[in-house]
Amino acid sequence: MDTKWNGTEVPAEYHAAPVKRGRAVRAAAGFLAFLMGVSLILGSAGAAAGWWAWQRGPQDWRQAEDWQDTASFRREISSYLRQFLSLGSGRQIVWYDSVYGTYYASSAGTISIVTEDGICQGAVAEPRLLEPWEMWEIEKEESGYDAGAYRQKVDVADLDRGFREDKNVLYYIKNSKDAQRTYSNGKKESFFESAQAQGYNFYLVFRDGKVSIRKDGQPQDVYGAGVYNEDSLWFLPGYENFPAGEALQDITVCMAVREDPLRYFSTDADGYGYMESGSLYYVKQEFEAAQAFYRLQAFLFGSGVLLLALWFLLRGDARLAAAKIASWTARVWTEARVLLLAGLICMFPLSGICGYWSLQEWYYSGEATYFFEQVPSIFSLRSLAGALENTPLVLALFWTLWLIYNDHRYNPKTERRSLWRLFRASGLKRPVEKRLNRGAVLLAVAVFLTVGEVLYALVWGTLITSTPPWLLWTLPVLPLLAAVWGAVCLLSRNRRLARDFGLLADQVESVRAGNLAKPLELPQDTDLQDMAEALNDIQAGMKAALEEQTRSERMKVELVSNVSHDLKTPLTSILSYAELLRQEDLPPAAADYAKIIDEKAHRLKSMVQDVFEVSKAAADQLPVTLEQLDLAKLLRQTLADMDGPIQRSPLTFRVDLPEEPVMIVADGKRLYRVFQNLIQNALQYALEGSRVYLTLKTAVPAAGQAEVSLRNTSRSELPEGVDFTARFVRGDGSRTDGGSGLGLSIAKSFTEASGGAFRVETMADLFTAVVTFPLWKG
Amino acid sequence: MKETILVVDDDPAIVNAIAITLEREGYRVLRAYDGLEALDLAQDPEVKLLLIDVMMPKLDGLSALIRVRERRNLPIIVLSAKSEDTDKILGLSMGADDYVTKPYNPQELAARVKSQLRRYTMLGDVHAMERGVLVNGRLAYDTVSRSLQADGEPVRLTATETKIVDLLMRNPGRVFPAEELYRRVWNEDAYSCENTVMVHIRRIREKVELNPKEPDYIKVVWGIGYKMERH
Repeated sequence: MDTKWNGTEVPAEYHAAPVKRGRAVRAAAGFLAFLMGVSLILGSAGAAAGWWAWQRGPQDWRQAEDWQDTASFRREISSYLRQFLSLGSGRQIVWYDSVYGTYYASSAGTISIVTEDGICQGAVAEPRLLEPWEMWEIEKEESGYDAGAYRQKVDVADLDRGFREDKNVLYYIKNSKDAQRTYSNGKKESFFESAQAQGYNFYLVFRDGKVSIRKDGQPQDVYGAGVYNEDSLWFLPGYENFPAGEALQDITVCMAVREDPLRYFSTDADGYGYMESGSLYYVKQEFEAAQAFYRLQAFLFGSGVLLLALWFLLRGDARLAAAKIASWTARVWTEARVLLLAGLICMFPLSGICGYWSLQEWYYSGEATYFFEQVPSIFSLRSLAGALENTPLVLALFWTLWLIYNDHRYNPKTERRSLWRLFRASGLKRPVEKRLNRGAVLLAVAVFLTVGEVLYALVWGTLITSTPPWLLWTLPVLPLLAAVWGAVCLLSRNRRLARDFGLLADQVESVRAGNLAKPLELPQDTDLQDMAEALNDIQAGMKAALEEQTRSERMKVELVSNVSHDLKTPLTSILSYAELLRQEDLPPAAADYAKIIDEKAHRLKSMVQDVFEVSKAAADQLPVTLEQLDLAKLLRQTLADMDGPIQRSPLTFRVDLPEEPVMIVADGKRLYRVFQNLIQNALQYALEGSRVYLTLKTAVPAAGQAEVSLRNTSRSELPEGVDFTARFVRGDGSRTDGGSGLGLSIAKSFTEASGGAFRVETMADLFTAVVTFPLWKG
Repeated sequence: MKETILVVDDDPAIVNAIAITLEREGYRVLRAYDGLEALDLAQDPEVKLLLIDVMMPKLDGLSALIRVRERRNLPIIVLSAKSEDTDKILGLSMGADDYVTKPYNPQELAARVKSQLRRYTMLGDVHAMERGVLVNGRLAYDTVSRSLQADGEPVRLTATETKIVDLLMRNPGRVFPAEELYRRVWNEDAYSCENTVMVHIRRIREKVELNPKEPDYIKVVWGIGYKMERH
């Protein structure tokens, strides 16, 4: 893992070769295009998303033809009309406003209730005077204080004065029942009939309880199908389910709206000061600002896309710049990056709460006090989308992430700086037992800190500040999570350690069992790395030694095999001609010589054969055919087979074999050779007239074992400290008698090749050969 | 004049020794000293048997054997210094009729030559096809007349030996423990019968086998019993 480049292969040229100037310029340009392009796209998209999320500006700026086609404008006109009607009727006229959510629709003496789903519920056909308390409730709801006196005061004079200073609306109000209630800011009724005055393009006339509108000289459809519902554009009396009522039947209101509204100052209600007025000006202003805003964002987005396209063309060279940047960022500690990233990520939802741009702003706004009440809303989609509006934060977050990604892409893990890595690297130099102890200490500290934090939170929370319980349990969550994370890290490390120990133990076991091929591969940073390497060295050493041994053993076998083969060819001739010679009619002495040649040639033949087999057995290359057989029967057969020589010998055989079968698994032919050799050995070396004891016992040395022993008294003194089963060893030290010196060696090799054990014991002149086999468990 | 035999070995001394032995038996002997020479001489239709060494210059014995087999149907005996079982099996599977390891016993070699020639000339003999005659390699046992022939020559057996041969020839490949053999042949309870059975087996071998010390037919299965090897 350490030597891998995180994901992508990086050509060496990025690090090594000097960069040509033209390439450097292209690299810088490409990277700059990438930087600007991404920033513009993110900034513009984020700002647009924020506007959308916060519902800044008029929402219908896209459908509206101009500012007079917006909902804000219609709301303003509706408000104007309501107040003009109040003027005309001399009473406060209020009706339900779908945007601000105020109450009922009421005209003087008439209540029309428009519910939220837009269906008229119990529209009162009969006019009725509002009860004083009802009036009061509404007024109070509207203005927040006792409106009884207030209404009397502002009702006519203030409204009239306020409207007369209005620079954006011309109006004419008359009450056919009450000639005194005629108001105007300079124009007669006839002025509004023509509807073609310079600078004014929007005309509204309320007459006989109905509204008619002309815009740019064109009459507009006000009521649609005539029934008010959610889709109705205008919220004005005159619908079937929103009738004007009897009280308004006598009032005529005419108004004209300036095409290009002004901002102006008017005297306030008391007539003392000035205040900024011209709500229509702001309607137009906002509409145009929204249009401009979205156009700007679209332009920025488009430029961003173009810049990204430029980067795409130059991306090969731009990688050079990215690699360069990665070489700078490699110096930043990983922990610093994590903190920076965590901080930015925390800022993100915070900035989303109310669209505050900084923590400071948020704190001083007083909203921080209610932070915990707002926690759920922080993570709402809307607030996250709103946070996108905070362009600097979005860009900071994105580029921080990009820098980290870039760093991981170009810098190998080992080159990235980190306190943790330093800590681990310093730790790896220590002996393993200290490292393990340190893990335990860390865990103890983590537990202590967690418990401390919980206790502190409990005490501090309950006794000192009576924090609400949910907050109490929320506070220690972060330190608790940190502690749990620490504990999980330690536990997983312990688990890895246990696994590595297991692997190490297995490997030791398998090396002991002779598996030298597969080295132990532990991860580079494990605590047991040194031990694993040491074990692998031992294993490699053993393997080399064993291979060398096997090689020389094989060479020895090949040599012996070749030699014995090469010996056989001349031996064949010798034997053949010795035979022919013996058939000739020779003088007695010559016949004797020929006989000796023949005998010795035959002995040579058997020695060559024995040497060949012994060397094969020594190299574990003796083919064996294992089968289930009766050891007692095999001994009887062998004795029967050798009955002739035994009878002719001056020895007495005392044979003690069990009647029942003694089943073992062995190679019968080889085992026959074993006992044949042993008996021949006895015939050859036993003291004349002595007894030879051949016994087969089961369960004597141990249960489940069959033991054959052959005892005889040696003719000559047995030397001490001689391994009789070694090759070419003979009891009498001479080399002139019949034996090849390989008989016992072959017996031992064949026994072992068949899965048994062979040993020779001597005590004074007593020679004992013991063959042991495990019993077959059927 | 008996049959002509082709003897091939790269060692002239060995070829000469074999030739002397065989000529004393009355055969005519052709000599070759490498594989190619052997191929030439083997074309002579007079050649009735091929004795060939394995390791030879120019063309080794087994390759020569395969080429001779392509053209001629005659008994081939392979001589080799390689004594491993695997070498024997390889030689026999290549088409050799017999495999003799060096150093060999000249008398045994002569006996094997004789045996092969007899079987070769007897091939297709109506006698072997008769009903009630069990044939196993060199051996043919007439269950009706209870007589055994080896290489077409009658073998003189005692009554007990005949019973044993009868049992073994009727069940080639089956291993008989000494006790069972004794019970079925002597019709008595078997008690320390190993020696008795072994003595009879050895006697039959001496009459039947070409080399009684390394029997091809009547074999001891060590630790289990005795059997007739299937050929």
